Parts: sequence; C-alpha cells; structure tokens
Amino acid sequence: MFKYITQRILLMILTLFIILVMTYFLVQSVPGGPFADPTIKPAVRAVLNRRYHLDQPIWMQFLQYLKGLSHLDFGVSIKVQPQADVFKMIAARFPVTIQLNLLSNLVILPVGFILGILAALKKNSIVDHSIQIMVVVFISVPSFVLAALLQYIFAYKLGWFPITFSTARHMNLEKLLSMVLPVLALSFGGIAYIARYLRDELSEVLNSDFMLLARAKGLTMRQAVVRHALRNALFPLVGMILGIFITVLSGSIVVENVFAIPGTGRLSLAAISSNDYPLVMANVLLYTAIGLFARLILDLAYGLIDPRVTVGGGKNAE
Amino acid sequence: MPNNNLDDYLKAANLSREDFAFVEAGQIQADRIPDTPPIGFFRDAMRRFGRNKASVLSLAVVVLIAFFAIVGPFMDSFTYRQQNVKWDKLPPRVPYLEKLGIFNGTAVLTVQKANIETDYKIGYIKTIREHNIKANGLDVPMADIVVDMYKLKGADDVYFWLGSDGLGRDLWTRLWRGARISLAMAFLAVFLNALIGVIYGAISAYYGKNTDLFMQRVIEIIGSIPLLPLLILFIIKFGTGIVPIVLALCITGWIGMANLIRSQFYRYKGREYVLAAQTMGVRDRRVIFRHILPNAIGPAITQTAISIPEFIMAESMLAYLGLGIQAPEASVGVLLSEGQQVLFSAPHLLLFPAIIISLLMLCFNLISGGLRDAFDPAQRG
Repeated sequence: MFKYITQRILLMILTLFIILVMTYFLVQSVPGGPFADPTIKPAVRAVLNRRYHLDQPIWMQFLQYLKGLSHLDFGVSIKVQPQADVFKMIAARFPVTIQLNLLSNLVILPVGFILGILAALKKNSIVDHSIQIMVVVFISVPSFVLAALLQYIFAYKLGWFPITFSTARHMNLEKLLSMVLPVLALSFGGIAYIARYLRDELSEVLNSDFMLLARAKGLTMRQAVVRHALRNALFPLVGMILGIFITVLSGSIVVENVFAIPGTGRLSLAAISSNDYPLVMANVLLYTAIGLFARLILDLAYGLIDPRVTVGGGKNAE
Repeated sequence: MPNNNLDDYLKAANLSREDFAFVEAGQIQADRIPDTPPIGFFRDAMRRFGRNKASVLSLAVVVLIAFFAIVGPFMDSFTYRQQNVKWDKLPPRVPYLEKLGIFNGTAVLTVQKANIETDYKIGYIKTIREHNIKANGLDVPMADIVVDMYKLKGADDVYFWLGSDGLGRDLWTRLWRGARISLAMAFLAVFLNALIGVIYGAISAYYGKNTDLFMQRVIEIIGSIPLLPLLILFIIKFGTGIVPIVLALCITGWIGMANLIRSQFYRYKGREYVLAAQTMGVRDRRVIFRHILPNAIGPAITQTAISIPEFIMAESMLAYLGLGIQAPEASVGVLLSEGQQVLFSAPHLLLFPAIIISLLMLCFNLISGGLRDAFDPAQRG
C-alpha cells in the first residue's frame, strides 16, 4: 500500500512536470507577448522586457522559472496586477472559488440523492418520468445559458437577488443572496448527473438477489432499501463527488465571468487574455495539481471503501 | 379445449391457422434458410430505435433545425453581415403574428414622462404605469410605456422575424447561419475524435504489453491537463477559424472513445476467429479493422452520439468566452456571447440562441439515449 502511494505520487510529479514544460512553451509561443500593445514606445518595451527577463533566450527563462519554483516562488504578475506576487494573488482568490464550489456541492448532493432515490423507488411512475425529464433538461442546458437566464429573470426582472456577486469581506445577508444564483447555475448539471446515476444504479440493485433475500427474511421495504440497497448503490458515488467537484471547478470559469465573481476562474481568463505568463502558468499548475490529486484520492478511496478493489494490482488488469 | 387455447395464442400473435402447413416426417428443416428476409444487427437496432418515441421526435427536431440551418438564411431579404445601424436592437416582428399581439415589434421602455411627447411621440402606444424616482434630490416623473420600436426607428415596413442585433443585423439569418456553423464544427470534431480514438484504442489494446502501457501513460498525461485553459491557449495561438477550434476540440476529445475501444478490443482479441485469422497470416491492420472492429463497434456508435452534444457545448463555451469564430461569421455560441452583453436591454438576442442550443443539446441527448437502448438492450434502465 505504502509503496503504491509513493509510486503514484512520483508518477503524479512526473506528469505535473511534463505538463509544466508543455504549458510553458505553449504560453511563450502565443503571438504577442505581454507588451505587444502598439502604443508602448519601443524603448519602454525594451526596459519592461528586461525587467521581466523576457529578452533572454527562452530556455534561460525556463531554467530561472524552474529555479524559482523549487522554493515555491511562482514569480510576479506582469500585466494583470504588475509586480504582485502570483502566489498571493491566487491565494486571495482561490477561497472564493472553493467556497462557491463547496456550496454547490452542498446543494447538489442532497437534492441529487433525493431525486435519484425517488425516481428509482417509483420507477416508471409519473414521479419517475418527471424527474427523468428534469434530468435531461438540466444536462442539456449549458451552465452559462442557465446562468444568464437566471440572472435575467431573478436578478433583473424580479429583483430578488443582486445582479453581481457581492465583494463584502464578511458573510452577510447581501453576500449570501448574491451567491444564490451562481451556486444554482453551477449546481443543475451535478444534480442531474447524480440523480440519473443513482436511479440507474439503485433500480438495478433493487432487482438483485440479495434484496429478494432481505425481503424474504422479513425486512420491510424501507429497511431493505436503507440497509442493503443504498449501501451498494452509494459506493461508486464517492468517485462522482470528486468528478463533480472538478466539473464545477471548470464550470465556474464561465459562471464567475457572468456574475463578476473575483475567483480563480476569472483570474485565469484575465491572465490568458493579457499574456501574463507567470500568472497563466500558476493557474494551469493549480488546476492540474487539483485534478491529479483528486484522481489519486479517488483511487485510494475505492480501496478503502470497497474491499473487493485491490489497490496497486496487476498492471494489465482487464 | 386445447384447440381454443391455440386459437387464443394465434390471435395474440396476429396469425391464423392458414399461416401454418404440415411437414412430412422425413423432411429436414434444420439447414433451410427461412423465407423471411434476415434481420441484421443494425436493422434490429433501428427497429428498436424507431419504437422510442422521444428519440424519434428528437431526430425530427434535429432534422428540422438542420433544414432551417441550410435554407433559413435565404428565407428573408437580409444577409448575415448586412448592417443597418439605425435599426439596432429591434424586437422580433413577424407579419400576421403581429396582429395577435405577439412578435409585433413593441417593447416596454422606462422613460422620463416629460420626454414622451418629444422623443417617443412617433411610436408611442400606451402608458402602463407611472412612478417617480429621486435624482439629485428632485422627484422625476417616470413612466413605463409601450412603444412600437419599428415606427420609432423609422423601419415601418421592415420585418426582423427574430429581431435585430446591436448593429442592426437580422437575428433570424444570423441564428440559422450560426446553427449551420455550430453543427458543422460539432460533426467535424466528432468525426475526427472518433477516428483518432478508434485507431488509438485499437492499436493500444491489440498490441498490448509495453505498447499499451506507454499509450495509456500518454492518455493519462493528456487527460490530466485542465481542459479549458489549454483550449484557450491553443486557440489564441492558432487563431479563431473553424479549423483551429475543431482541432482544439480534438486535443482531449478522443480519449473517451480510445478507452472504450480499448476495453472492447481486450474483450474480443482473444477470440478464436482472431486467432484463426492470425494463424492464416492475415496482416495486423486487416485483423484490427476487418475482424475485431465490426464486433466492437456497437458501443462506439452510442459513444459518438453522446459526444455530439458535448462538442456543441464545448464550442459554444469557447465562443462564450470570446474565443468563437471571427466576425462577421457567427456560431450559436458567439450569438449567445453577444446576447449576454446586452442581456438587459435586448433579451431576445440571448433568448433565441439559448433556445436553439438547448433544443439541440436536448435532442442529441435523447437521440443518444435511444441509440444506447437500441444497440445495447441489456443495459436499458
């Protein structure tokens, strides 16, 4: 087990490094550069380029960047917030994104659960059909369309919620209200995925032999469902939760833009569109690291929850 | 009594006694080919698909949208790039429907009451509500009025069926032209990704061992790059034409198909007929594509159908972030992004593209659900 984890972490670092190299050269090869604005005088541009070492050959810059990285120095922002420490910039915005993400998960999980279980228990009834329709609609309407429609109807027309995200430092009613619409926009897709998955899985489990046995030995339907069916249907859900976390994270890049939320998603967009090299790199590394880490936790979690899964098994297990 | 029973069965199966004939005792029936035409795998799947009403309806809607995407831009007198800056942001107006009170080119404006007689005299229809707002300490009387925007902007005989955008371009024409481009890009991306995925997955699984291990590591690395930043960088580097956007969608889009085909190949590559072919010296390429692939293709078709809405969504998401196809062309995503910017003053510019993209997504999802059930009845939920 320990050997497996070390192996995985080493592999993860290797993957991260390969992506780092690829992204670095891709970012640098984007035409323009941070100071391509024609209104900047050539002399000024030369000074600026020298200050950020942009006049050196690209592999020199890369080595310097790696050297900085080795003691967790991600460099300074060039364009978005000149001279600001990239690490601090991300540290200031990341909590906002995570906060929204966790809130969305708090909405997604219980609602998705209830809908999925309801649909499975009342399979082929009117309840099931209406939940099925809702699921297809939620999966089909893109999150940014939903975000815009929610913003138009509930914020602009009805005035129930603020149009943009409140930037108040501490949690208050106004801030909470301003979070409702973004959280909803981020949640619909996840709700649909969980509900659809749980319905399919649970209705299969309900027809299995051990459910028949449970009923035969005298458990009521409720007891049998809660003690036997749910436990079996729930375990693959652990994987979905992490998947949803990642999906919401990338979905928030767009939703943050619609509601003017100061999170990392909006920051990455600003960084990319202004060729702010260090900031782009740091953002890509952040998202990649989260993705890789989530996958590791997921694999380990499977081994812990389900004894049938052996962690670190044969390479060509099929 | 038993005869009655037989009649009941026959009735239930829509048959009669005349459909049956006696057979001689010595006659061998086993190896005779039945007279009825054989129903192959695809015919059978299509029959099952045809029974799924939601999928068939969705298919009809997609065909309808595709039809309009082809002929829609020619149905009125505007072109997709013709600007009439004076006639900007006009609401929808359709002949005949306008008499029913919908799509009649009117809009509700909140204006200063004093200005009704001067600025809005031409198109003024009626006042809905009067109220005061405070500005600089003074009470300013305001009014919500219904205005015929077409009269107001001097476009009496003009009909923008779905309204016009910020530059006075016709939304009807642009929307269908956009749908055409969105669909074309999605299908191109789906085709390329399916092709790459099938070849990659087939090679990876067929040769197995170290080849497989290496190819799986490559997938792992590509799959763990965060997609959106990568797409954005790619498009900034290579420009925003149809080809770069489709290629960008091909960076990671094939991974799902590759994994699927790989697991399918692992299932079939050990079968006797594969061994037989290999023993007889059939070349690898032929074994992969002629012997194994046709058996493994069922789930791949479903996977392809599922990925169509995903690519439509991905393309419109990119367009929405300002990385769509270049003006004056427009995809549905570009129209959505333009509509978002004027959401509060001209909601129709977001609404109609949103309806089209949601319909497309919905229908493709239902179609792929129907295909899944048709090709893999065992999995039906």
